[in-house]
Amino acid sequence: MPEQPQQPEGAIAGTGAGGAMDLAASEATALERGPGGYGGRGGQDKPRSLWSDAWRDLRRSPVFLASSVVILFLVVISVWPSLITSGNPLQCDLAKAQDGSQPGHPFGFDGQGCDVYTRTVYGARASVTVGVCATLGVALLGSVLGGLAGFFGGAWDGFLSRMTDIFFAIPVVLGGLVLLSVVTSNTVWPVIGFMVLLGWPQIARIARGSVITARQNDYVQAARSLGASPARILLRHIAPNAVAPVIVVATIALGTYIALEATLSYLGVGLKPPSVSWGIDISAASPYVRNAPHALLWPSGALAITVLAFIMLGDAVRDALDPKLR
Amino acid sequence: MLLEVHDLHVEFGTRDGVAHAVNGVSYRVDAGETLAVLGESGSGKSVTAQAVMGILDTPPGRITGGRVLFQGRDLLRLKEEERRRVRGAEMAMIFQDSLSALNPVLTVGDQLGEMFTVHRGMSRRDARLRAVELMDRVRIPAAAQRVGDYPHQFSGGMRQRIMIAMALALEPALVIADEPTTALDVTVQAQVMDLLAELQREYRMGLVLITHDLGVVADVADRIAVMYAGRIVETAPVHDLYKAPAHPYTRGLLDSIPRLDLKGRELYAIQGMPPSLTRVPPGCAFHPRCPLARDVCRTDVPPLQAVQGPGAEEGERASACHFWRECLHG
Repeated sequence: MPEQPQQPEGAIAGTGAGGAMDLAASEATALERGPGGYGGRGGQDKPRSLWSDAWRDLRRSPVFLASSVVILFLVVISVWPSLITSGNPLQCDLAKAQDGSQPGHPFGFDGQGCDVYTRTVYGARASVTVGVCATLGVALLGSVLGGLAGFFGGAWDGFLSRMTDIFFAIPVVLGGLVLLSVVTSNTVWPVIGFMVLLGWPQIARIARGSVITARQNDYVQAARSLGASPARILLRHIAPNAVAPVIVVATIALGTYIALEATLSYLGVGLKPPSVSWGIDISAASPYVRNAPHALLWPSGALAITVLAFIMLGDAVRDALDPKLR
Repeated sequence: MLLEVHDLHVEFGTRDGVAHAVNGVSYRVDAGETLAVLGESGSGKSVTAQAVMGILDTPPGRITGGRVLFQGRDLLRLKEEERRRVRGAEMAMIFQDSLSALNPVLTVGDQLGEMFTVHRGMSRRDARLRAVELMDRVRIPAAAQRVGDYPHQFSGGMRQRIMIAMALALEPALVIADEPTTALDVTVQAQVMDLLAELQREYRMGLVLITHDLGVVADVADRIAVMYAGRIVETAPVHDLYKAPAHPYTRGLLDSIPRLDLKGRELYAIQGMPPSLTRVPPGCAFHPRCPLARDVCRTDVPPLQAVQGPGAEEGERASACHFWRECLHG
């Protein structure tokens, strides 16, 4: 792969975490320039911060570029599926059940005679929605609870640590079967709620640990000695220095939440028909996999690529944000 | 009297038991005066300062006794809220390592400006102007251009100047400088110390200078308090202490300064190691390492007693040694 040091910024208008990085980086650049530029220093001493360094590393990472292209594509088709398919995922023709690929129907038909291509495209929406919302929820709840526990310590910390132990002890799939089987709603929200409920302790532990690390820094002592209030210390001095590990873990977790949604839907407790989801399609196609393997392979392939893209993105972000790897 | 620390006791709960970090420290600082607190690592000098500032981590730290009178008020009895208003505005602290004591993700202008937005309620725009003024004040070249730079873009000396500017931003009456020049190289040390001394004179601040560097002390301090194992073992006006120490530990410290006229000879070192704070020796804590130690030193804690001798007239001198006379004249 040839080096491209002068890649134009915003060549890939990143999405999801990529978009957030983009924003953070351009904000950082604006801040660093400050009023009046650099005076006599000629500008060769480029200002650097954790975020601008990370963004520079990311732009050169093929893993990041490849995964962001995939994720961008997924987000676009989950918002506007009609861009690449004119079909209706719920309009099925039993006469064509299990048929192979035909002109206009490249992926063939499933057991109900529905177009597999259209259903695969529409299935992205459920996966992306669940993945993104569950991750946001988990990251918010986990970092607030974990951050407060790490900052204040004491009894609240002890209580929270025991709570995370309890939630860690719940097997995710079993918990899902029990809790979600009583839900009758056919939207993504119960699934997202369940993931947030079981997922927050992971982020809470990470946030707690990184807040404790950041709290011990001299600049926190210095801020205290200069009269800053606890809220100011936490929000202005600790949070920006403790957020990187949370971002990394949350990005990687996004992929696993998408896989979990498919798992729960496969088991019949996640999304239920007539919702369209890869997990539902995989489940429906599995009994007749010998007659119509295409009905199983396309949604499974889409799921695998999506999960892989998010996990790769998380990996690239971790590499860029970990100063020890530099 | 600006600051009066009276019989301060601080301990830490550790896995090995209770560590007695500060065991009855008393000192006083007047406006415009510089008190140097001298001691090796673990002697309790920084812990005393943190207790005075009110930034001791509790737990594991615990203030078990004493008073800290600042302009007549006992700080240890103030509510945390009131205490916070004192910090930064009336008393401030300068830290040793400016790279870790400045927040890496905020520009120096933001951090300096924070002093004015938090304590004075200024707008961010005005605060930024004041930040530039302050940077000028501590002689940072091209301050207006550099106010938007991050801490790591400055050299160590410049960063320490920014630390000083932050501490002096609101012209506090008392500044505690915890080894302010230890992380700097020698030429820069002198510049930073000069700047600090100059600003101190100008604002007539009381300065508590915590250090283990006898060279720094000699130039700027008015009085010295020598600490060992959580106690003050000797206090004296700086020149008298250098001329004739009244405690064997002080004498040992002075003798271990390398001297050009004794080049080639083996450097003196105090034998033994400083005691663990969880197991401070009974009696005088220094007795296992002391050339003058006798039986009484192993059993009786020597009180800090007035010393008659050089300098006793102009400022009070005190030593916590049973045999200070011997030390002073021997």
